Order: sequence, then C-alpha cells, then structure tokens
Amino acid sequence: MPVPFASLRPAPSAPSARPPRRTRLAAVSAVLATAAAVTLTACGGGESAAGSGGDTLKWATSSFPAHWDPVVGGSGAQFRELALVYASLTRTDATGKAVPDLAESWHYNTAGDQVTFHLRSGLKFSDGTPLDAAAVKDAILRAKTQKDSALFGDLTSITSVDARGLDVIVHLGQVDYQIPQLLGERVLQVASPKAAADPKKLDRSPVGAGPFTVTQLVPGTKVLLKKNPDYWDAKDIHIDTVELTSAPDAATVVSGLQTGVYNFADIEPSQASAAKKAGLDVFVQPGFNAENISLNVNKAPFDDSRVVDAVRYAVNRQEFVDKLTFSYGQATDQPFPPGYVAYDPKSADLYPYNPAKSRQLLAAAGYKPGQIKLSLVIPAADPQAEIVQSQLAKVGITVTIKVDKNWATPFFAKDLTFSLYGTTGRDSAVQTLTAHFGPNGPLNLSTPYEPAGFEAAVAKVRRTRIDAPDYASVLQAATRAGLRSKALVFTYSAPNLFAKSKAISALPKNPGHIDWTGVTIGR
Amino acid sequence: MLRRVLSLPAGRIAVAILTVVALLAVLGPVLAPHDPLATSARTLAPGSGTHPLGTDYLGRDVLSRLLAGSRVSVLGSLEVALTALVVGVVPGILSVYLGRAFEWVTLRVVDTLVALPFLLFAVAVIALLGNGITQAMLVTGVLVSPLFYRVSRAATLTVARSQYVEAALIAGASVGWVVRRHVWVKVLPPIAVALAQTIGVGFVIVSSLTFLGIGVQPPEPTWGGLLASDLGYLSYQPWAPVAPALLIMATVWACNLLADAIRDVSGEAGRALVAHRRLRAGRRGRTEPAPTGGAS
Repeated sequence: MPVPFASLRPAPSAPSARPPRRTRLAAVSAVLATAAAVTLTACGGGESAAGSGGDTLKWATSSFPAHWDPVVGGSGAQFRELALVYASLTRTDATGKAVPDLAESWHYNTAGDQVTFHLRSGLKFSDGTPLDAAAVKDAILRAKTQKDSALFGDLTSITSVDARGLDVIVHLGQVDYQIPQLLGERVLQVASPKAAADPKKLDRSPVGAGPFTVTQLVPGTKVLLKKNPDYWDAKDIHIDTVELTSAPDAATVVSGLQTGVYNFADIEPSQASAAKKAGLDVFVQPGFNAENISLNVNKAPFDDSRVVDAVRYAVNRQEFVDKLTFSYGQATDQPFPPGYVAYDPKSADLYPYNPAKSRQLLAAAGYKPGQIKLSLVIPAADPQAEIVQSQLAKVGITVTIKVDKNWATPFFAKDLTFSLYGTTGRDSAVQTLTAHFGPNGPLNLSTPYEPAGFEAAVAKVRRTRIDAPDYASVLQAATRAGLRSKALVFTYSAPNLFAKSKAISALPKNPGHIDWTGVTIGR
Repeated sequence: MLRRVLSLPAGRIAVAILTVVALLAVLGPVLAPHDPLATSARTLAPGSGTHPLGTDYLGRDVLSRLLAGSRVSVLGSLEVALTALVVGVVPGILSVYLGRAFEWVTLRVVDTLVALPFLLFAVAVIALLGNGITQAMLVTGVLVSPLFYRVSRAATLTVARSQYVEAALIAGASVGWVVRRHVWVKVLPPIAVALAQTIGVGFVIVSSLTFLGIGVQPPEPTWGGLLASDLGYLSYQPWAPVAPALLIMATVWACNLLADAIRDVSGEAGRALVAHRRLRAGRRGRTEPAPTGGAS
C-alpha cells in the first residue's frame, strides 16, 4: 500500500545530538515485518472444513452483473446470476436441450415458421402482477426494440408476437426450430412489464418470476435475495436466502470459502489445488466455453490468407490448457469444446501446431522474421495474451500487448486488427455460430466477411428439428462451413470451475447453467 | 554531506542498499541469466541451479524478471521525487519573497493538491492518457510536491526573518543574492531529507501501480507486477512473493534510513554530532589501546 502523504515527515529544525535511535527502531521494524510477511505467506491451506451458511447460499461471483435489466445485460456469463431473479420460457436439461420452464409446452405449425408457447397457469411476478402471454410479448418486444438492448441481434428470426391468454404465438421470418433453445435463460429472462415500464429503475430493482426476489441491491457489490414463494417450482427450491457478492481478488476467494464468508464461488484453475486442500468440493460444471484469437481479415497483414494460416499453425493449444487451466480445460479449434453436439469431428485438428510450416507460410507471403509487428489489444492483463505473444514470437511475428480499458468500443466496432475473445457459448448452437461467423456477428472482427456456404448451412440447421435424426450432422456441417472463416483461431475451452462447501448438495449438471433446483444446504 | 552520512552506521547501510538497487537498475537486464520474457514448459518450478528463484506461471525465470524489473521501479521513483522537487521547492522559496498574492495563490494550490489522493489520481490520469508509467509518475510527483513546498517555505521563512539577512537587505543586497548566499544553504538539508523520503514513497507508488497492473504493459516485468502475479499461485509457490516483497521493503527502508541519517548529520547539530563521535572515538583510542602481541 502506498505511504499516506501525511507520513512524509518534515525535517526537524533542530537535530538531536544523540545517536539516531529511530534508525535502529526502523531496522528492527523492517526485520519483524519481513518475518511476518514470510510467515503469513506460508500459511496456506489448512485442514478445517469450510463453513456452512445454513439455508443461506453465500455466492461469490467473478461476473457480478453490471446490469439487472436482462435486456441490457445481454446473453453473456452474468445471465447465471440474473437467473436467480428471472425465469424464462424454457430452460435446458443435462443434455443441453430446451425443456419447459414458464412455458409448460410449445408446438410449431406445419410450416415451421410459427411457434406457440403455452404458459403455466397462475404465474405471477414478485410484484404481484400476472405473468401471462402479454407479459412475455412485452419482454420479447422490449428485447427487440429497447434502445440499449444487447439482445436484439439474437432475435432477428422473430417478426411479430401475438398474446392470447396464456398462449404466446411467435411469428418467424424464416423456418427456425431453434426458438425454444433461444428463448431460455440467456436470451429471454422475463421481467415484470410494470417494473420494466421504467427500464432504468428495473436495472436497479429487478422484478421477475424466478426462484428468488431481491431484498437489497448494492450496485456492483452485493445483492441479498430471499426465496420467492410464488415461483412456479418453489417446492423444489430449498434455499431460503442468497447473498450474492462480487468476488474479491481470485487469490482470496478460497480463504473466503474456507472461513465461511462464502459457501459457493467460481474459482480460477490456479486456486483449485488450494480449494481441495481446504476441504472444499471442487467441481467443473459442463459448458460451452471457447477462447479465440480474433483476426481482422479486412486489415493487413491478415488480408493475406497465408499470414492467417501461419498464425493458425503457430498456435500450440495444449500450452494454453496446461498453463492456464491446469489441465481442467481442453484444447479446441472450434467455437465449442470437443464432445458438444455442434463440435465437428471432421474439422478437428485441421491446423496442427507446426511452427516450421508457419515460418514457411510467412516467408511465402514475403515476410522476413520480425517484419510483422502487431498490437494485440485486450481489455485487461491476461496471461493468454502473453502465451500468444510468446508463440508468435517463435515464428517471427512480433506482438505488443496493449491493454485498453475501452477495448469494447473498437472491438465491437470492428476497428481492431488483432484481439482475443472468450465466449461462454449459447444454448442455441446456431446462435453461437452466427455470433462468430455471421456477417454481422458481434464476435466476427472481420465484418462483413462471411465464409462461403455458411449462411446456407445455418439456414439448413434452422430448418431441421432438434429431435430429427440428422440434426447433429446438419449442425456439424454448419460448424464446418463456419470454420472456413479466416477471422478466428480457436485455442482452448476454459473450465467452469467452482468450489463449494460440502454442506451444499451437488448441482444439476445443466451445461453452461447454474441451476439451484433441488439443491440443499446443510441437510 | 555524504562523508558525514557515511560516518553513521545507518547511513552506510542505506547507501550500500541503494547503491545495489541503482546497479540493478543499470545492469539488471545485462545480469539476467535468462531472457525475462522467454516462456518454457517448466512452470511454477522451485528454485534450482538453472533458475535460482524458480519459474513463474508461464515458465519464465523469476530472477531474470526481478533483475529486469528494477529499472522501471528506480526510474519511476526518481521521476516522482525530481518532479516533486522542482514543482515544490521553487514556489516554496519564492512565496516568501514575491508578495502576498503569489503566496496566497500557491498556498491554495498546495491545499488543493494535498486533498487529492495521489494513487487514485494517478489511476485516473492513466485512464485518460493511456497506460504508461511516465505520465502516472509525473502526476504523482506534482501531487507529492506540497511536501517540498512546505519544507522549503518553512526554512526560507526562518532565514528571511533572521537579523543577518535583514541586515544584508538593508545594506543593499538583492533578493537573488540573499537566496543564493543565505537561504539556499539553510533550505538544502531539509530538502535532502524530504527527497530521500520521497524516493522511498516513489518506490511504494510505482510498486502499487504495477501491482494493480497499471502503468506498464504486460509482459514487461516489474517488482509490483511480479508480486501481484505470485499471489495467484500461493498454493504452488508460497515463497514466491518473498523476493519481490523483500526488494521493495529493503529499498523503501533504505530510503528512510538515508533520510534519517541526512537529518541527523545536517546543520550545526549534525556537525556537532559527528565531532562528538570522533572525539569519543579518539578518547577510546587513547585510553583503550588495541591489544598488541600475545595476550597475557
């Protein structure tokens, strides 16, 4: 910590004629402080069991929501925290497939361009207003039209919505069997229309029909919630209260868990060992995370496909897995981890690690070692960037890492040449694909570039029922078409790593989600 | 002054440590046994013959990174201290002689600067101007300058009201001559003390900012940055933060020791102290001669 200004001592006007006793005191103090620092540093781990919070979930999260209006928050990682408050038309099961939530069923018309969701009866928001088709329609329209909506790009298939009692009729501009996957927790968390009449107020005081209601919200810091007795599945919620806290530094989360300040937290892979030693349950929740190196093929030197391929061959994916995930993650060269239904085995390892070939490609493109100099612009210091820098240096590409706190603006405006991005995936694989490879995909740094055949392949997926026998092969063909893109080099899938008190029972293994249904604490 | 500082044990220790730190700053990158940016497969390895302080999370040699990171810390702290010196001392002395308007304005500016938390302000400046240690240290130097303003002003006021200065002015001496001949001599010792302390504060500020990842771009090594990254891997290398922490602590401690030593030996009392110590040493030499030859 910096020395406070007041501690700068002015020089005394009349120095003492005695020996400088203070210097000796300072020396002794420094030695004692050093010894204390060494001792405290060495005090890691411990055998004591983590504290239990009774029926209170004490959740420390590294992705504390900046917004509590789901329309503004978008479909990023913070949807898991918002799902405490908001329910959706659908949710996903352990296979990642959409299952009923607020909607007890749905059906498509014969043409496949209209889907009707049938809501459960007797639903209501925590403010007492009824949750009917009109409320769902309001939520969809708000997501499509609200000025600061981060979701409108995900709902382009929907042209209009009709509300008839408990039936929500969604009209589509194209055949799209992905809609039930899409209108789940990530894209359509339904807020009370009464509360949403003032979106700014909703952002501070969320009102939904989820398993919990907010009793206190300190923006950016902490939220207190209690069980919502009006939640449609309240009988399966066994947690009375939730304290959701913005996690402190990653290195201190395990200590918090150990001492009972928290009883549930996402942790960095580097902390897993300490968490296990502390007697905590450490587990990986399945998910769709995928990290990538984003290239802008509209700008030099990536307008030369040989340079893009050189970068692809220069990437050693296993190094990311070993050094960043401590082997909890896995290497991937696609926007999904291996094993996911959309992962295309035929496209696996198309560009294996081969620095010699990378150097050859650069030479063929006319670049001498060291001639290509790139700025890798990222939002915060990230060891991933250092690995990219190191790997590209080995093939003669000089990378300067530039941390830009305002990174989001040039990235989403597609002004950057070279950057990094990580996605937590989407429940609809098509949504993930179009976000990365679509001409206007937010994660496609090379907009309006689109790989040939991608649009047709995605349209075919939309036309294929999710339960159709050929769904997986059609979906994987779309992934294959997307991977012809020169704009993205996928590297690894980071794990959804959590640590919890042993007093908390196991969570449902819904991929990418944190579902508290049936979870008990201290029973 | 240096001779008198070195006559004190604390002064000798401080100068020795600071000399080593200065040498590290100049020669650190040359002395580094490995490329401080070169990664390897041996991550979080303990100390060995090849890597005396082990390797970090990307397999880089920690000793090499410590050595290479010295320059940023030293230059940054010097930048803080010298900026504060220049910005604070000149108006501090002039405020005594340039009339009430100048005095009032400078005092209000100083009051304002004191009210600003310099670490937060440095972070804000970096957010505004971009991530660079130079601009952060310049701003911090300005925010620390009130110390020099007050020290130099207080010393100048004491001298300016003394009879011999008033006599000199009455005799026709110019203000400039008085400042050069009488004021500067009196102001210098407290400024030297403040300078040594401020360099120490500068080290703490540079380390704090780099600890937070502010001011330098990764993967450039810094003492504070090494400390921060080590904290994420305590369960693997609980000893890792000790080396950068000790370097920071020892350097700051040495600066404070030096400040104390300068304070103790400056002025008439300081000269008396040194004379007294010499006298005692001389008496011991006469009354307690060192034994020669074999013991009886």
